[in-house]
Amino acid sequence: MRSFYTTLKYLAVTLWTIFVIGPFLWALSTSFKDFNSVTSGAKYIPWAQFEPTLDGWRVLTKTSAEGGVDIIEPFFNSLTVTGLASLISIVLGTLAAYALSRYQFKFGFVKNNDITFFFISQRIMPPVVLALPFFILLSNFGLLDSILGLIIVYIVLLMPIAVWIMVDFFNKVPREIDETALVDGCNPFEAFFQVVLPNSIPGLVVAGMFCLIFGWTDFFFSFFLTFTEVQLLPVRIVALNSSITPWWSLSAAALVSVAPLLLVAFIVERFLSKGNLSGALK
Amino acid sequence: MRFGHKYAFLLPGLLVLIAILIFPILFTVRLSLSGWNSYNPNLDFVGIKNYIRLFTSDARFWEAFFRLSFFSFTTVFLQYVLGFGLALLVWKDILFKRFFRVLFLIPMMTTPVIMTVIWKTVFHESLGPVNDLLSYVGVSYNWLSDPVVSKFTVIIVEVWQWTPFMFLLLLAGLLSLPKEAFLAASIDGAGPIRKFIYVTFPLMAPISIGAIIIRLIEASKIMDTIYVLTSGGPGTSTETTSFYIFIKGLREFQFGYAAAMSFTYLIIMIISLTVIVNVLVRVFNGRNS
Amino acid sequence: MKQRLRHYIMPLAVTLGAASTASGDQWSDQFPHIANTGDIAGECSYESMSQKDYSGRTLTINTHAVPVMGEPTALHAESFAALTGATVDVIHTPAGDLYSKAMIPFQAGQAPYDIVFGFSNFIRDWLPYLEPVPEYYVNMRQMQDVTQSHIDVNSWDGQMVQFPIDGDRHYLKYRKDVIDNPEMQAKYLADTGNELRVPQTWKEYAEMASYFNGWDWDNDGELEYGSAEVMKKDDLMYAAFFSRSVAYSKNPRTEGGFFFDLETMEPLINNPGFVEALTDWVEATSYVPPGGINFGLGDEINSFGGGQTLFSFSWDDAFVAAMEDTSPIKNQVGVAPLPGADRVWNRDTGAWDDTYNQAPYIVWGWTAAVAKKSKNHEMAFDYLCFFANDANHQADIAIGRFGVNPFKKSDFVPEIYVERQGWDPQIAQEYSETLLDMEEGSTNRVFPLRVPGVFEFTSAVATGTSKALAGQLSPQEALDEVAAEWEAILDRVGRDNVRDAYAIGVALEDNLR
Repeated sequence: MRSFYTTLKYLAVTLWTIFVIGPFLWALSTSFKDFNSVTSGAKYIPWAQFEPTLDGWRVLTKTSAEGGVDIIEPFFNSLTVTGLASLISIVLGTLAAYALSRYQFKFGFVKNNDITFFFISQRIMPPVVLALPFFILLSNFGLLDSILGLIIVYIVLLMPIAVWIMVDFFNKVPREIDETALVDGCNPFEAFFQVVLPNSIPGLVVAGMFCLIFGWTDFFFSFFLTFTEVQLLPVRIVALNSSITPWWSLSAAALVSVAPLLLVAFIVERFLSKGNLSGALK
Repeated sequence: MRFGHKYAFLLPGLLVLIAILIFPILFTVRLSLSGWNSYNPNLDFVGIKNYIRLFTSDARFWEAFFRLSFFSFTTVFLQYVLGFGLALLVWKDILFKRFFRVLFLIPMMTTPVIMTVIWKTVFHESLGPVNDLLSYVGVSYNWLSDPVVSKFTVIIVEVWQWTPFMFLLLLAGLLSLPKEAFLAASIDGAGPIRKFIYVTFPLMAPISIGAIIIRLIEASKIMDTIYVLTSGGPGTSTETTSFYIFIKGLREFQFGYAAAMSFTYLIIMIISLTVIVNVLVRVFNGRNS
Repeated sequence: MKQRLRHYIMPLAVTLGAASTASGDQWSDQFPHIANTGDIAGECSYESMSQKDYSGRTLTINTHAVPVMGEPTALHAESFAALTGATVDVIHTPAGDLYSKAMIPFQAGQAPYDIVFGFSNFIRDWLPYLEPVPEYYVNMRQMQDVTQSHIDVNSWDGQMVQFPIDGDRHYLKYRKDVIDNPEMQAKYLADTGNELRVPQTWKEYAEMASYFNGWDWDNDGELEYGSAEVMKKDDLMYAAFFSRSVAYSKNPRTEGGFFFDLETMEPLINNPGFVEALTDWVEATSYVPPGGINFGLGDEINSFGGGQTLFSFSWDDAFVAAMEDTSPIKNQVGVAPLPGADRVWNRDTGAWDDTYNQAPYIVWGWTAAVAKKSKNHEMAFDYLCFFANDANHQADIAIGRFGVNPFKKSDFVPEIYVERQGWDPQIAQEYSETLLDMEEGSTNRVFPLRVPGVFEFTSAVATGTSKALAGQLSPQEALDEVAAEWEAILDRVGRDNVRDAYAIGVALEDNLR
């Protein structure tokens, strides 16, 4: 019976793995194709079924005058904006989440849950109509087409996530821990930084990851709020998306844009496993 | 003394958020009371005309809402079930555990705008691999051009992209569960299934609820997938509220009306989510033995 | 017809001859793009631009993605920068977002882009934000060479506000290896009793497309289908619908409007002519490739250009792709005017006129304009003029992926395509003649809808027709829905506002020289 369950387990994992990797394999294969290989039906294996070329990849380093889309600078812009915005969002968000988890607030009829809900409700509104007011807002402060401007907008996008997730994780850390620390003579800040925070590493890691992901993959705001100075990666990649959709270069671009987050995934996984250990050591 | 501290924690984040948001939100409200469109980019005041139009003569908005509910509930449910299942699978007792954990995270990290183009090529009815492979078993579907099948294609792509979200949150939750509860259950002689139903699942309630709510919020804004795959078609079979707002706002430039739609959407979502949270709490806590 | 072509060849030959012996060599060495013709003299030639000094100035351009229009923009930007010392920043934006990306800043009172590229039917919405083209440029020989319909499409009420840099039209493309093939002709005749020829009406088109649908008629091991059309409910499919409608609804005997009755501003979109066209289009879903109902322009190009279908009829791109060196069907495709119809609706009499009717749809194409609030008007116009100068333009139209298509009278010369792109001379001839005839020779034609809120109208058409294609509504129901929506839009935007604007287009249609 056990071996039946085990086989089932591995089967399930394998199936899902195929589902996850499938599109990437297809993208990989497609990134080496050209117009003919694409339009003559589905082809999979280079050399065996079609003549591979490096055009799709080369396009990513050529300038647009050469028919390419240089993604190197936008790549680093994205790193900067996403990284800084996530950092600020995590810091401010975690502090706020701690307060919402540990203290009682009451501004009139507005209580803790309402405030938490206020944070997350910023994610509800579809961004479409916000293009105009944010444009006006940033232009009044001269922050259009700037890293700082984008960071400010991204904070609005990312802080709610940080708050929402950290409130959940802080709620799982028993209050006794705080109490103990306070009794031991710490002030609330020390209690937070030295005792509670280290016990919430999994939460921080997860919140950090989501901030990075949502920031890295945003397209809408960077599309309307930047022009020439600061271009982010997704905006630059869709510069390839003309009426003749180039399957090959978009495939290559998709693979490239995932790469940095892969690194993040590794780091996250390590922290998750470690977090487990530290959680058990309480 | 404690008072000072609690505000010191909360206010920096809260105030920064409000400071950045105050103008856009107020502007959008004012926008919804105006007739701003491509021809008339002014904040003229037309009262609640946009709202009246929305509620009395825009069946398309409500149809889109109905479709949105279908998509959101289906995808979030699937993502939750699959995500939880996957998290349980790689939680412990499996080879290459860490490799799988990293692997399962990857889809979430792709930029939807770009990845969906890849999906479009995957599901392309004549040039894509899905129909090609299916032809070996004699089947082929119109993934993007059939009013019913296209809905499932959208769901498949969404599930692929966002199950890792649930997976990660739930895995993190599982990894921080206190061991004591499990020890107690083992001592009581509970098998794996009973352990799950009576220990794991209830302990995961807060994380589950949080994850479901966030996913519902995000799923409702679904845009890139539909935009690239089907443009809301065939006909209007995959058109959701957010896509409809997009068309009205950025294609037709009826900004005033789009703002009214956005606000209505916001209010409806807030009410729905509040109800859903209550339902979920009851569902999860009802299991507590 | 041939006379007219010779009329244009001579000056071109002279210019080419003159240019290549004069300053051509110096510039074509430095800029290999114009190697074939060398620099051609003019106010915006390479030579002239090199005399200008814009060092220290920056020009910002928002253009389409690479390569269609995007690559030539960037290429010419590089040359311009090298010649004048200016810094030129080029941003690339997907087609569907060109409008909004420029419009948001416009409506916020800003002009971050000196030059905005777009489709020429943005004109009425962008009008308040554009700087009209100065007389100096309008009077240049280079501009006078532009065909009248393209000057009209870029002008508003007699004033040029957009700079012609490209030309576009819808025309029929067909597989010569089938239509002109005696074996196929015999087979078709035997099976159907009808002649296999370039379809003269949409009904013939449908018959032939259905016949050649779903079997391998070119022996390449893949199935072929009837027609590749833009049916995906995106920003372009309504143009495909209008192309199909023109023959049934543009009646030379009834003046005063095609989309609306100019006097009453009653939408005509649900009249029997349009309904007939939509019925045809719904039938077309049976002879498009699998997934054809979700084909965007890119898919249509891949499909017809990759040899999958017998016919296609929208923009040039599919034809150009088919004629590329890498295409499997190079020199096997032909060009013809859009099919007509055996009867056309007469709204004055409320009945059909049973006579043959055909009309080109002067569909909008790429255009560029200078922002009114830009601080670099002169430099911007110089750039656009340079973009469209004879040397650059001749080189551009010879590179298929650039998306620059003929719009000057001197473009319709077969030799260009034969020599530079390796086209079969007969095909190049067919191409030049057909296109020129549409531009200069037709007296019954439809101009694109260019009114305030144009996208509200076209979006309604897209939604309605797409519902019919998906089988959600019957053609009549779908178009009735569109007409009702058009009425609502007229109320919102203002009937008179729309009428004033529409009158301009109608005048162009009704007062043809």
